Amino acid sequence: MIEPPTTQPTSGYRTKSNQNWMRVFNVVGPFLALTAVVLFFAIADGWMNGEKATFLTGRNLMTISSQTATVAVAALGMTVIIIAGGIDLSAGTAIALCATVLAWSLKEDLGPRWFANETTASVAKSITEAKGDLKQIEREIEALAGGEYNTTQVAAKLMAKSDAEETIRQHERRLTKLKSLSAAVAVGMSLGCGAFCGFVNGLLVSYLRVVPFIVTLGTMQLYLGLSKQVARETTVRPDRFSQVSDGLVDLLSVRADALWLGLPSGVWLTLLLAALLAAVLHWTVFSRYVFALGSNEATARLCGINVRWNKIAVYTLSGLFVGVGGVYQFSRLTVGNPTSGSGLELRIIAAVVIGGASLSGGRGSVLGTLLGALIMSVIANGCTMLGLQNPVQDMILGVIIVAAVALDQFRQRAVSRKP
Amino acid sequence: MSSPVLTMSGITKSFGATHALRDVSLDVPAGRVMALIGENGAGKSTLMKVLSGAHSPDAGTMTLNGKPFAPSGPHAARLAGVGMIYQELNLAPDLSVEDNIMLGQERGRFGLLDRATQRAKVRDALDLLGHSDLKPNTPVRELPIAQQQLVEIARALASDCKVIVFDEPTSSLTRSDVEHLFAVIRRLKTAGLGIVYISHFLEEIRQVCDCYAVLRDGQSVGGGDLSDATDTNIVSLMVGRSVSELFPSVPHTPGEIVLQVSGLSGESSPVDVSFELRRGEILGIAGLIGAGRTELLRCLFGLDRCRTGSLTRSVSEGERFTKRGCQSQVQRSPSLTLRVSEGFGLVSEDRKTEGLAQSRSIADNMTYSRLKPYSRFGWLNLKRRRTAVADWMQRLHVKAASPEQSVSELSGGNQQKVAIARVLHQEADILLLDEPTRGIDVGTKAEIYRLMGEQAAAGKAIIFVSSYLTELLAVCDRVAVMSRGRFKEIRVARDWTAESVMSVAVSVNETVA
Amino acid sequence: MTAQFWTACLLLLVPLGCGGAQPQPPPGRAERPDVIIPMGLLPGGQAETPVVPPKYTFAVIPKGTTHEFWKSVHAGAENAAKEFGDVKILWKGPLLENDRDGQISVVQDFVTKKVDGIILAPLDKQALVDAVKDAQAANIPVLIFDSALQDESLIVSYVATDNLKGGQLAGRQLGESMGGQGNVVMLRYNTGSESTEQREDGFLEAIKSGFPNIKVLSSNEYAGTTPESSLDKVTQILTKHKGEVNGIFAVCEPNAAGVLKALEESGLAGKVKFVAFDPNKELIQGMADGKVHGIVLQDPVTMGYESVKRLVAHLNGEKVEKRIGTGEYVATPENMATSEMDKLLKPQQFE
Repeated sequence: MIEPPTTQPTSGYRTKSNQNWMRVFNVVGPFLALTAVVLFFAIADGWMNGEKATFLTGRNLMTISSQTATVAVAALGMTVIIIAGGIDLSAGTAIALCATVLAWSLKEDLGPRWFANETTASVAKSITEAKGDLKQIEREIEALAGGEYNTTQVAAKLMAKSDAEETIRQHERRLTKLKSLSAAVAVGMSLGCGAFCGFVNGLLVSYLRVVPFIVTLGTMQLYLGLSKQVARETTVRPDRFSQVSDGLVDLLSVRADALWLGLPSGVWLTLLLAALLAAVLHWTVFSRYVFALGSNEATARLCGINVRWNKIAVYTLSGLFVGVGGVYQFSRLTVGNPTSGSGLELRIIAAVVIGGASLSGGRGSVLGTLLGALIMSVIANGCTMLGLQNPVQDMILGVIIVAAVALDQFRQRAVSRKP
Repeated sequence: MSSPVLTMSGITKSFGATHALRDVSLDVPAGRVMALIGENGAGKSTLMKVLSGAHSPDAGTMTLNGKPFAPSGPHAARLAGVGMIYQELNLAPDLSVEDNIMLGQERGRFGLLDRATQRAKVRDALDLLGHSDLKPNTPVRELPIAQQQLVEIARALASDCKVIVFDEPTSSLTRSDVEHLFAVIRRLKTAGLGIVYISHFLEEIRQVCDCYAVLRDGQSVGGGDLSDATDTNIVSLMVGRSVSELFPSVPHTPGEIVLQVSGLSGESSPVDVSFELRRGEILGIAGLIGAGRTELLRCLFGLDRCRTGSLTRSVSEGERFTKRGCQSQVQRSPSLTLRVSEGFGLVSEDRKTEGLAQSRSIADNMTYSRLKPYSRFGWLNLKRRRTAVADWMQRLHVKAASPEQSVSELSGGNQQKVAIARVLHQEADILLLDEPTRGIDVGTKAEIYRLMGEQAAAGKAIIFVSSYLTELLAVCDRVAVMSRGRFKEIRVARDWTAESVMSVAVSVNETVA
Repeated sequence: MTAQFWTACLLLLVPLGCGGAQPQPPPGRAERPDVIIPMGLLPGGQAETPVVPPKYTFAVIPKGTTHEFWKSVHAGAENAAKEFGDVKILWKGPLLENDRDGQISVVQDFVTKKVDGIILAPLDKQALVDAVKDAQAANIPVLIFDSALQDESLIVSYVATDNLKGGQLAGRQLGESMGGQGNVVMLRYNTGSESTEQREDGFLEAIKSGFPNIKVLSSNEYAGTTPESSLDKVTQILTKHKGEVNGIFAVCEPNAAGVLKALEESGLAGKVKFVAFDPNKELIQGMADGKVHGIVLQDPVTMGYESVKRLVAHLNGEKVEKRIGTGEYVATPENMATSEMDKLLKPQQFE
């Protein structure tokens, strides 16, 4: 049997340049969209508010970055899942679970009780008592000053006063220490909780062999129930002053004295994590497997890649990011509320999709995801700045998501149209 | 001889660079059954797709019942009078027999069905088949396969077809159902329809057909009355010319045994397969599509579950160890990671959906199964990998811009080379190649044959599955012929001829099922 | 609405790549644009009147924007704004009813925007504290309405219904209509919602102290935030305690809507005494039909009106009381026809 002599396809050049253009567009696309959205709001704000325009001020941009952090950090984890061809609908409620566990850990003084055998409440009580003592001493001094007095008496009282002040300072230092300890343990629990949620998702996805959409639809409800259980169906409120470390609250605070190099420390942390993740996605063996899974699971299997464990690793890694998201959510709310994550998963997924990832797997980028999350925050913020109502904001977000997905489809078709 | 009800003349069709059909002509007489014969990939299905309107030909004309026929699509062809019965049934399982028969040609006005007319139409069709006992209201799901097939035929009849094409209709039928089907076909023949019957089984063809036409490499190579032709005539027409110098041979000699397979059975196929494979040997596996060749490779590789049997893998120092995986009765499929570490490598027959991660780069695809040389603590040295991949690309003459180019941008032959490069890069000792030369050009084929010879000379063992007999006979040391899941016969390659392979492959003389 | 839609369309062009086609702002522009800019870019409804530049711009931040209650608060706030003439209301809530994080963002955005005052109904008494602190640090006074904030030292005033008292009124009304006998079911709203928790406490307290012969069958079920979830929950409870329930109290409007539906579907409407908190059309009709035996009413219009008024007073240097009650009332089948009740039953709503 003789095959007809074949020529190399001549269309190669055209498609290649097409592909290159696509690749450039993948990176630049989200950037363009963000620039366009920012420009639009800046100009519209300028028109409407004149000198009082605030959209493009440093403070507003900083505020936006702080408002983005929770979604952005969770979206980083989701990016890995989506690249691997999966999806995690439980991310939202898992964030709430992490935040609730964190709040619960603070409220129950887990850290101080485990590692210092003490509770913040007892120290706070000693402070109150010491303050009472100090008041008493001050009153006695005043009483002495009012009547006859001798110097030894006054000296003794003054000594007692400075002793009392010293005691208060000691207790306060002790409380600060305990709060930090408590915060460290609580953050650890949040991260562990997130990783555990992810691990469970991964385990179910790879061993049940059910599509992740369904599995995580189930765990979404599961985690919601778990966090309600932890919170005993109410909001967990650790005492803001005796139990919550300032460092934790300042993570995403926009107060001027909580900023670090002009941005909240949580935003810097997000950027650091993003850079780390980008490096992992570029230079590790694991990342090759992640992309292989998302691009073609059958091929991955054929190449002897351990599909199950890599999936579990992907979901667990994403769970860690969810844990960070939980810390961020607590930092903003200072309470743990079981329902505060509902609906968050869709914003997280939307951020990834707007950032140019493909829901059919195999494609996605860290930078794109960050930009996607930013686009959504900018829209929310801009709408408030312009005084636009919620219906408008909802519609804009909806259209952006549809546009992103349509773009993805368009890209895919362009690729598969090849001979 | 009656006048042809369908004539196809000068039909030419190419896909990209491949000529699927070249100047094919076919006359289907009314009231006769014509067998369309050819090897896999000879162009039979493409020709039928042209007839059914799924493809439009690049050149050539067709007439149906004396009128020019150029269907715009499958539906148009069906309405014009061409009925197709494929081996995969196309029925809506939850609809009734009647609804299935009338699907796409419902009678009615203003969106309302004219039940009475429809019922009459269905009756006529079933009567013509001699199966008026089929109840029009039964959901098709509840019928056995053979009766579902009748529904398909009735559907063709209900659209007043002039020509019916049966594409391997017996593959899912039992022996007695086949007899029933043949009776139906004979009835249709007497009703004056033109019938095209496609099958690999010469025995069946002899039973039901009157005349034949043979396709090879997309060309008509012969035909005539069946009564005038012997089986040998037909097979030699199908197989074509002898071995040419297209097959570069690299001398290699089989050494010690590396893999001993005994009594291996999968879910449906393979069935009780035993053989041994040696270092430096190329073992070819021939057989028709569906004979269980791909399944055998998948079972060996652990992609499919094995029910019974054992695999014994021997490593070079004569040390023997039996791998778990195929020994016990109920065994989960062994982890592929294990198989890869045991030195197995598989090139899938399906590059698009299984063999390659299309959207990833050449470098990724080539190195997925062995990233160790370039990694330290999980981090990759991309530069070193790039150099190594570029090296492989050069060795295999992969034409691409760079190792970072995505595989989807490559031509089929180059994609195949990447897939093969992967198992070579993996340093697998046992290469399982499933149709590695399918859909690629002649030059690349020759390169792949040379590569296989080189690998065998380097001491690797190769199992080579192909539907292209000529290459099997030319390249392999031994060739096994499979039929219905079983190893029919293994012989040294030079003891086979294309004809003898075919006659073993198409033989239906089944042992007790 | 059309103006809103127009704006939406305009905005939607942005992501589709028309960002470059936006009009550039004229440099050194002094006067406000009034013709060129589509009216829709201004907040809804305000487009017609900005003849005098407003002296004060207030952000009013409800818990959500879809319930009728908030629309009445909005109407009250706009009434006050119209009365003063130089006050502009920016109405903006979180996208979802229980999105605490979203509400924090809205407060932060208005702080950045440097509005003259913020009127806020906090979704969480603790979570919003830091955001309000930010406002205080930026010298923006904050007035709280509807639900309390944990730290009252930060705020100008707290304008709200006394929810505890409202709950007590409901308890008394339900107890009386049941004749002091039987079993009641109380449906909670959602975890961590301050105002409804107070109603729940007030209700239980009134039943316990005033009606010793009434037994509380169930008081720990959460009916959720939507009529649908409430309908499901109530149906479950009615099935569980089949034939035992004589009275039901629903602590808020979405809750009550579900209860009424459930009662109607199970054929118990009218037989089981039912007291709701906050009205809607169906509940009022139900009361006329004898299916609802009491509705505790708040006065959202006054709430919105008073909030704006007090904040203006504060900015003008007047002293404002820390706590302002807007009253709570019970509408019964007997008094529902009076003009006073009618006004509260069908409060004005912002269009």
